Amino acid sequence: MTDLAQLRPDRLVAVREAFGIDSPLQAPAFSERDEHVPEIDSAYRFNPEVTLALLAGFMRNRRVLVQGLHGTGKSTHVEQVAARLNWPCVRVNLDGHISRLDLVGKDAVVLRDGQQVTEFQEGIVPWALQRPVALVFDEYDAGRPDVMFVIQRILERDGRFTLTDQNRVLAPHPFFRLFATANTVGLGNLNGLYHGSQRLNHAQVDRWNIVASLNYLPAAEEQAIVRARVPSLAGHARGDEWVQAMVAMATLTRRGFAAGDLSTLMSPRTVITWAENLEIFGDLAMAFRLSFLNKCDEAERATLAEYYQRCFGQELPGAEPVLA
Amino acid sequence: MNDAQAAARLQRVEALCAASIRALVGEAELHFRGQRLHRGHEPVAATAPHLRPTLPDDDQGSFRGAADGLALHLVHSDPAVHRQLAPDAALAPVARLVFDMLEQYRTESLPPTGLHDLPGLRQNLRHRFEAWSRQFASDELVEGDRGLLLFTLAQICRARVCAEAVPEEHTDLIEATRFALVPLIGHALAALRRTRHDQAAYGVHARAIADTVADMVAARDDGKPFLIRDGDDPSQRGRFTLLLNLQGTPVEGRHAATGWGGMAPDAAVAPYRVYSRAWDRTLPATALARRDELRQLREQLDARIARQSLHVARLARELKRLFARPERDGWRGGEEDGRIDGARLAQLVASPAERRLFRTEPPQPVVRAVVTVLVDCSGSMKQHIEALAMWIDTLARALEMAGASCEVLGFSTGAWSGGRAAREWQRAGRPAQPGRLNETLHIVFKDAATPWRRARPGLAALLKADLFREGIDGEALEWAAARLLAAESGLAGDGDDVRRCLVVVSDGSPMDTATALANGEHYLDAHLRQVVQGHERAGRLELSALGVGLDLSSTYSRSRMIDTATPSGHHVFREILELLAGRGWR
Repeated sequence: MTDLAQLRPDRLVAVREAFGIDSPLQAPAFSERDEHVPEIDSAYRFNPEVTLALLAGFMRNRRVLVQGLHGTGKSTHVEQVAARLNWPCVRVNLDGHISRLDLVGKDAVVLRDGQQVTEFQEGIVPWALQRPVALVFDEYDAGRPDVMFVIQRILERDGRFTLTDQNRVLAPHPFFRLFATANTVGLGNLNGLYHGSQRLNHAQVDRWNIVASLNYLPAAEEQAIVRARVPSLAGHARGDEWVQAMVAMATLTRRGFAAGDLSTLMSPRTVITWAENLEIFGDLAMAFRLSFLNKCDEAERATLAEYYQRCFGQELPGAEPVLA
Repeated sequence: MNDAQAAARLQRVEALCAASIRALVGEAELHFRGQRLHRGHEPVAATAPHLRPTLPDDDQGSFRGAADGLALHLVHSDPAVHRQLAPDAALAPVARLVFDMLEQYRTESLPPTGLHDLPGLRQNLRHRFEAWSRQFASDELVEGDRGLLLFTLAQICRARVCAEAVPEEHTDLIEATRFALVPLIGHALAALRRTRHDQAAYGVHARAIADTVADMVAARDDGKPFLIRDGDDPSQRGRFTLLLNLQGTPVEGRHAATGWGGMAPDAAVAPYRVYSRAWDRTLPATALARRDELRQLREQLDARIARQSLHVARLARELKRLFARPERDGWRGGEEDGRIDGARLAQLVASPAERRLFRTEPPQPVVRAVVTVLVDCSGSMKQHIEALAMWIDTLARALEMAGASCEVLGFSTGAWSGGRAAREWQRAGRPAQPGRLNETLHIVFKDAATPWRRARPGLAALLKADLFREGIDGEALEWAAARLLAAESGLAGDGDDVRRCLVVVSDGSPMDTATALANGEHYLDAHLRQVVQGHERAGRLELSALGVGLDLSSTYSRSRMIDTATPSGHHVFREILELLAGRGWR
């Protein structure tokens, strides 16, 4: 296998064929699949707008931040675009305890020729910077803003990265790419859903060239995703009807959340989990209870029972009628 | 089932229906007030007669169906187009009724936005329409020609527009009328289903049907009352009616397509004034009773509280969780991580193994809140006051344990039927529109600065029955709000971040016989509404109301109902906590 750093994109992929999006674009791709290239999920459905934003990131070296509510498949989206371009991709989950040393590198004690020596170990940022790698910062808004200044320089397109411990200046590999995903747009936890998200420094948010928003899809697309993910349901006689009602249920919970009636909502991931649990238990209501209802506040269950009745035309078992 | 329980059930059903409507329409502002759907402060038109289920005649399915009908109406009917095409409700009430019904059937035939047709929703709509039809068919109204004509029209039009069969049980009843009716409206009827996606095109055909049917109804006039106007005759309540409610229409443009529904316009009531403030009093409760009497009342209250065994500490914990906000409050040293504590560096030199060299700035939950409970001390509250006094006393104690200040205020009048103010007015020759006549009595049972332990005798005065006379709510609310806005939370560094909650406890509308006689029945009511809306819009305090066995939602946008007859106090505290938490507020 050739060295990762020597790889170059050497062919063009038609976007229309690879992603099913109506666009005449041709995207650069690698012929060789490195071990860092994610697996292709053939059931994955691309959102046209976000895909184009991500492709712009790959083709034109733009820094792309994908923002969206949980369970909308932000990280997977970046991964799947990379997978189809055979572009090596590394995901880093940020959290409040990621420190500068984790990102940049630190001195570590290693064994060399039986001798203990102290050696500088590169962190993930300098490692990725010197290779044709798409670096994805997941939960970008969970990182502490002061720590995130480490990447301030590399957010600029030809920004060099200075390793102060080493007195070395790294020039980025021409095919190094940087992406991030976040639940918020860096304004903090406004709706109470994303505990632990930080307010970001806007001088930094400003350096992201493209901010794509991946929110909930139109019902028809979401249904197609659920059908693609849980194929056994599509084979079922009432499968389509169920999927339709399940997606309607999710839509109602999202509107209920926006209206302040519910404190949780069903993400596309919840719907898929529900469909998978339906496969396991064979019972709609029970699968619903196990996949979503039990996550909800007791006081909100009556409201959910109302939504359920609307979507399925039958009472949610266990819901008590108000008027006997 | 007593009235309070029935009202509580209705409130519960309405809350669930409103939540469904909000989700189906996707608007957060929709809620029920006084059994009518409102968008913010404005009532929403409920256009067709079958959208008004009542208790105890209708079941939950009917309420759901009506709610779904309202939701679809809001989604699919453009008020401007509707207003443009609709017949004038005052000139041609029957045509308007028919037109509104047809528009409702159109919206019911369409799926909600962004969703496919929901089977349960369709089922609810059909259930509601069938229940309404059954009530209509069993009413004497259908025995007259005109009633039967409208019944038949409703059946065939809905069947046509929604492509659902007429219920089997009614086919015989409508057969003859249908035979006579269809040739006259056949052309327009055929077009209804086809044009249902286009409100304007549909409206033209609906208008044609409405006019034809109105002419037919006029031709069969037999002199008996037919359409009932809302509020015309209280004896009609609870009976099946083709309700024609035209209140609210004069204010055209304000709420556009309001054909039915809406509150009496406040403009009809003269501006509020006070005839004389000479005898108005504001007194601490301890000044209103002898010390012995207060001691006796306190013992009575304590005995009652002991019997109830309420969990004060738990309530205090929940209140604290509700009100507390994290604040950085000082440093904590001796930590194993955090920021380096300069004062401990010497220790590091002395013992290099020492790791507790850091300090952190931990957030502490701090409560900055003032809660005022304003108790209606009108005569009718006497029967509830024993239970209320117990809850208020416990609440005051729990709030104090949680770190919030609490003020307990009450309002009554100094006399019955106007007292000295009314007598002065009579001596002056009864000038017209005198304004409020009675002598108000504002009572401070416990003020924010007095701790609960010292306020115990004052709180006991809640049980003093002879204080309870009439109630002038609007002025009392202004007084309590002014006190609350001026109150200190008792913590240093208070700015605008103090939460100020005002909870009104009442069992009815304001009442003073003399004022009502001299100024009109709704005079005090209108003032209360005005004060409430003023505070709700200003938003400087969180105003909410606890209705004692009564739904106050027509006056306050944030209200809950409690029932003093239930033995357990826990559900009352749950209601209060939810009120303070702001759950379900619009």
